[in-house]
Amino acid sequence: MRWPPTCSTALGSVRTVSAKLERLLNLTALLLDTERPITAESIQHQIVSYPRDLASFRRAFERDKEELRSMGIPLRVDKVPGTMPAVDGYHIPRDEYALRDPGLDTDELAALHLAASAVQVEGLPATDGLLKLGGIVTQPTGADLGVHIAPLPSDPNLAVLFAAVAARRAVELTYHGQQRTVNPYRLEFQRGHWYLTGFDRLRDAERNYRLDRIDGRVQPTDLDPFSAPETPALGQARGAWELGDETPVRAVVRIDGPQVRWVVQHVGPDHIVSSAPGDGPDGAVIVELPVTNRAALRSFVLSFLDHAEILEPAELRADLVQWLEQVS
Amino acid sequence: MTARAEPSGARLQRLLAMVPWIASHDGPTVQQVCERFGVTAEQLAADLEVVWLVGVPPYTPDALIDVVQEGDRVWIHYAEVFSEPNRLTPDQAVALLTAGASVLALPGGDTTGALATGVAKLATVLGIDAAQVLDINLGGARAEVLDLLRQAVRDRRRVRLDYYSFGRDARTQRDVDPYQVHVADGSFYLLGYCHLAEATRRFRVDRIATAALLEDSFSPPEVGDGGRVFVPDGDDPRVVLRLTPAARWVADVHPVESVEEQPDGSLVVTLAIAAEPWLERLLVSLGPEAAVVDAPDELRGTGARAAARILARYR
Repeated sequence: MRWPPTCSTALGSVRTVSAKLERLLNLTALLLDTERPITAESIQHQIVSYPRDLASFRRAFERDKEELRSMGIPLRVDKVPGTMPAVDGYHIPRDEYALRDPGLDTDELAALHLAASAVQVEGLPATDGLLKLGGIVTQPTGADLGVHIAPLPSDPNLAVLFAAVAARRAVELTYHGQQRTVNPYRLEFQRGHWYLTGFDRLRDAERNYRLDRIDGRVQPTDLDPFSAPETPALGQARGAWELGDETPVRAVVRIDGPQVRWVVQHVGPDHIVSSAPGDGPDGAVIVELPVTNRAALRSFVLSFLDHAEILEPAELRADLVQWLEQVS
Repeated sequence: MTARAEPSGARLQRLLAMVPWIASHDGPTVQQVCERFGVTAEQLAADLEVVWLVGVPPYTPDALIDVVQEGDRVWIHYAEVFSEPNRLTPDQAVALLTAGASVLALPGGDTTGALATGVAKLATVLGIDAAQVLDINLGGARAEVLDLLRQAVRDRRRVRLDYYSFGRDARTQRDVDPYQVHVADGSFYLLGYCHLAEATRRFRVDRIATAALLEDSFSPPEVGDGGRVFVPDGDDPRVVLRLTPAARWVADVHPVESVEEQPDGSLVVTLAIAAEPWLERLLVSLGPEAAVVDAPDELRGTGARAAARILARYR
């Protein structure tokens, strides 16, 4: 090929890409097919499209390994059995590589495709996954959810946390400047943000962590898998006051009559403990809320202006009074 | 002509999925393969030309993948090495399951249909219980209200809403031409033309007490992403606030007219105030994190008065 490239090399560049594709496919096939790790030397020998020159081969081989790994192919390095001194060999274990066929029928593929088209996680292409599951199937009738869903935010730790949740492996993360070791129970999307719910091993209690407030990268550990989470997924929206990692406290809040309809819808009927004494059927209610985020509870109560009051505990009442004295 | 080459990585990913699929089907048509894998006939031909050169040791004819094309059908033989596609990466799994779980979690969503069984099958091969591992809540809304609004948007029918306006602390009845239902930042919204306000408005679905379909129909305008809807009225009074760094988010979520960065990281913003209770809520919830720099006479001392009213309950 001529260099620098000109218009006439357009076809040449297509050919170069095809040549590289052919090499990557043959490399994948060779490493999947082999029963024992094989050496770089043997790979160069078997795949004729690799450069014969050793330095050029090394560069190309490094790039190819990187490319396969970047797409999630489990390319492993292990000692070649029977070599002394030990020599590195490469292979792709089939049991780690192969996707078990989920047996999706065309309706299911179409439904997944429709969902993936309607709901996107920023920066994560959902159709790549669909190709592996049997391809893109479009509903013949222009199915429409009737709801426009803005792309969900992504997070650099989302994939590693999902993998840890799925494998039930503890992770290490830094939150509010503190190192934590957490059994990751589940990922939750609440109120426009991603949260990790998990068991904080140091605090010996369940906590929520907002993903965009985790400092840096979450590190997987090789600690033994933990057993099933003790608390099941809620399957419903949580109040902002529940989404924090503070020591839990139960708040008792009185909400005045005119606001009740809206508050029942917001906190859910389960948290309404009673109607307040001395009020009629349309009167005030008492709600009891589990709080792990005190600032969020304060904002919630203050959103009712003077139509609500924290009754207990005294600590939260005092916080609120002190806060209000600073209002401009 | 731009013969821009598709990156080899994208082609490799596609081929590692496409080869097992073609090999396990008895001669699908070229058109079927193209639709399934999102390629043109030319791209498919170029891909298959490469597959033909791939095999495993000893690279004898029976160890090379064989591609047969007859008429408009295509077969792949001797591709045992690629009998299964690669597993989903965590990125791909989380994207697909999130999409599936989101649609299933729509209030009133069909939790027994093809999507539910599809997500369940996918979860099974991933070895997880999807509902326990991923809990997606797009926002709170009552299914009957949401369903009625979706139907009204589709059928272009006017609706009558009993709406609690949080900003004005008041319930109103409004007739609305519904343009779009959308989800953003953890809430469902209805975007539409409000005949009471005589303007396009955004309504939070969870503050709609009741909704009813009316007989009237309408022609919707082009709706964009439904983002900026609140247009301050030129006559609304303006308030200037100084926000500490902890309260900078206010400028992102409320329609501020001007923003001035301060050397200490705080912001000075100008807000149009359509209703006093809205300003009261903002100021008491921001507490020490906001200071009123300038306000017209009728809004001077709004925050302190509201705080005093609330404090009266605690003393």
